[in-house]
Amino acid sequence: MDGPRVPALVRTALRCYPARWRQRHGDEAAEVAVLLIRDGGAASTIAASYLTGAAREWLTPLPGRRVSPVACVLLAAACSLALSAGLLASASPARAATPSHGHGAVHCALVPPEAAVKPVAASRQQRFIGEVLRGRSC
Amino acid sequence: MAVGGRDSKGGRDVLRTVGEASVLVLISLADRPRHGYALIQDIKEFAGVELGPGTLYGALDRLERLELVESLPAEERRHPYRITASGAQALRAHLDSVERVSTAGRLRLQLGGI
Repeated sequence: MDGPRVPALVRTALRCYPARWRQRHGDEAAEVAVLLIRDGGAASTIAASYLTGAAREWLTPLPGRRVSPVACVLLAAACSLALSAGLLASASPARAATPSHGHGAVHCALVPPEAAVKPVAASRQQRFIGEVLRGRSC
Repeated sequence: MAVGGRDSKGGRDVLRTVGEASVLVLISLADRPRHGYALIQDIKEFAGVELGPGTLYGALDRLERLELVESLPAEERRHPYRITASGAQALRAHLDSVERVSTAGRLRLQLGGI
């Protein structure tokens, strides 16, 4: 999947998907990105599309699994916190000296509203929340 | 695009809630199997919609879970997808539903004289 022609931004976005998705679609998704960029598409737009898809993938319940509304509320709270942290980090002058901070918030800003209120599989959601709070989903 | 809840035989329109992208993917697969990039190109051509690749794979996964499309053996890195019999049936039902609503809308515009 990580061929040399695939822009780093797209590679990073693809890494945000769950492993089973990457095994299934990763190579093809990278190739599609290269072809779309060749056709004039912006790497950032393609990466954003994959990021949104990755967030949706984490938040979509697997068949036969359900999550309590409490878990959904926790997820929304985690996303709000991470987004706020990201905004604060980007507003801080110190950020220029520490460019690796605050990246985790990008995910939550891209989670579509309908995805945020969907029932989610508990274990997947807890992992996602944990990764978002640690700011290293990607 | 999510209109109508029943097809002409009174059955449920299962595509009512899957989203526009999934319907576009099914329409694209209606005549022959296609892989990801070909789907994006085809949809752009017949619908004028530039489907993002993330949206595309999300729609394909959703449709596959609903058994409306199936993945064919990979050709190099590419996985072609094919519409299933139930996918074709669901698409027909959905298009019937859209057509009914469209006809009603045009009729009402005519009656309203706008």
